[in-house]
Amino acid sequence: MATTTNYSWTTPDDTGLVKDGASAIRTLGSSADTTVKNLNPGTTAGDIDYYTTSTAKARIAIGTAGQVLTVNSGATAPEWAESKGMTLISTTTLTGASVNITSIPATYKNLQVIVRNYKPATDGTTLLLRFNGDATANRHQGDEYNDGTFNANVFGNTSGPVIQTVDNTVATNLSVIDICDYTNTTTWKMAQVYSIGVNDTTTTQYNMKRASIFYNQTSAISSLTFLPGAGNFTSGDVLLYGVK
Amino acid sequence: MTKSKPQIKIVDATTGEEIVRDATAEEIAQMELDAANYAAQQAQAEAKESARQAILDRLGLTADEAKLILG
Repeated sequence: MATTTNYSWTTPDDTGLVKDGASAIRTLGSSADTTVKNLNPGTTAGDIDYYTTSTAKARIAIGTAGQVLTVNSGATAPEWAESKGMTLISTTTLTGASVNITSIPATYKNLQVIVRNYKPATDGTTLLLRFNGDATANRHQGDEYNDGTFNANVFGNTSGPVIQTVDNTVATNLSVIDICDYTNTTTWKMAQVYSIGVNDTTTTQYNMKRASIFYNQTSAISSLTFLPGAGNFTSGDVLLYGVK
Repeated sequence: MTKSKPQIKIVDATTGEEIVRDATAEEIAQMELDAANYAAQQAQAEAKESARQAILDRLGLTADEAKLILG
C-alpha cells in the first residue's frame, strides 16, 4: 500500500479497485484524525501544547493566577511556576494624622514600600513608620548606618523614622523601604530605609536617610502605620509591593 | 468653636477598603505621646549636633575639615 510522505497515512495504490474506495477513505480519514489530534493534544481551555520529541506533542493545563511559564529543572519541558517579580498590592494616599495599611497578604517573601511625594503640614516634620500598629513603648528603634554604634543598642521608641525634617511646601521626597522575611514568626523584624527629602530650611538642598528601623517582636508583619512626627499629612502616596 | 479631631485612615491591603474616621481619645493620647517622643528625639539629635559643633569650635576646625581628617 502507498503511504503519504510526512505522516505515512495509508492511501490506495494507483492500481487499487474503485470498490475499495470507501474503505480506503475511512482508513485515510482515521489516520488523519489521529495525527491531527496528536498535534493538538489540548483538551481544556487554557491548555498549552508543546513538543515532547521532534514529532510528538503533550499538553500542560493552565497554571494558577499570577503564575508564569518557565522551564522545568531538567530543562526538558515548560511548566508553570510562581512569579519571581514584584506585585503591586496597594496604593494609598497619605491623609489625616495617620494611615494604617492593614491585612497585608502573607503570601510574599519580602515587601517593598515606595513613598512618593510625602509632604507634612508642619514644616520640618519626620515621616515615621510603625509595625503592626504596635505603639507599645520600647519596641521600635531607628538607627543610622553611619552612627558607629553596632553593639548593645536600646529599643526606645514606638516607631522609626523614614525621612527626617523635610519641607512642608515642596513634595518631591522619595523613600524606599525594604522589609525582608516579614512573615516569619521566630525573629525580630527590620526595615531598610533609603530616602531623599527636601531640606526644610534650604529647599534646594536635600536630606538623606540610609537607615534601619528595628522591631523587637517576632510576630509576622501584617500592617504598616505611617504617621508624621507631628500634625497631619498634606500629601503622599504609599505603594506597597509584594516580592516573591 | 469645636476643634476638629485628627483623622485616622485605615486601608485594607487585601480588599482595598478604606475607612477614614476621627481618632479615638486613646489614639489622640497616643499621638500626643508620639509627638512628645518625636520632639525628644529631635532635641537629642540637635543636642548631639551642638556637642559636635562645640568640639569642632574648640579644635578650630570646620565640619569639612573634620570630615577630611576622619576620612
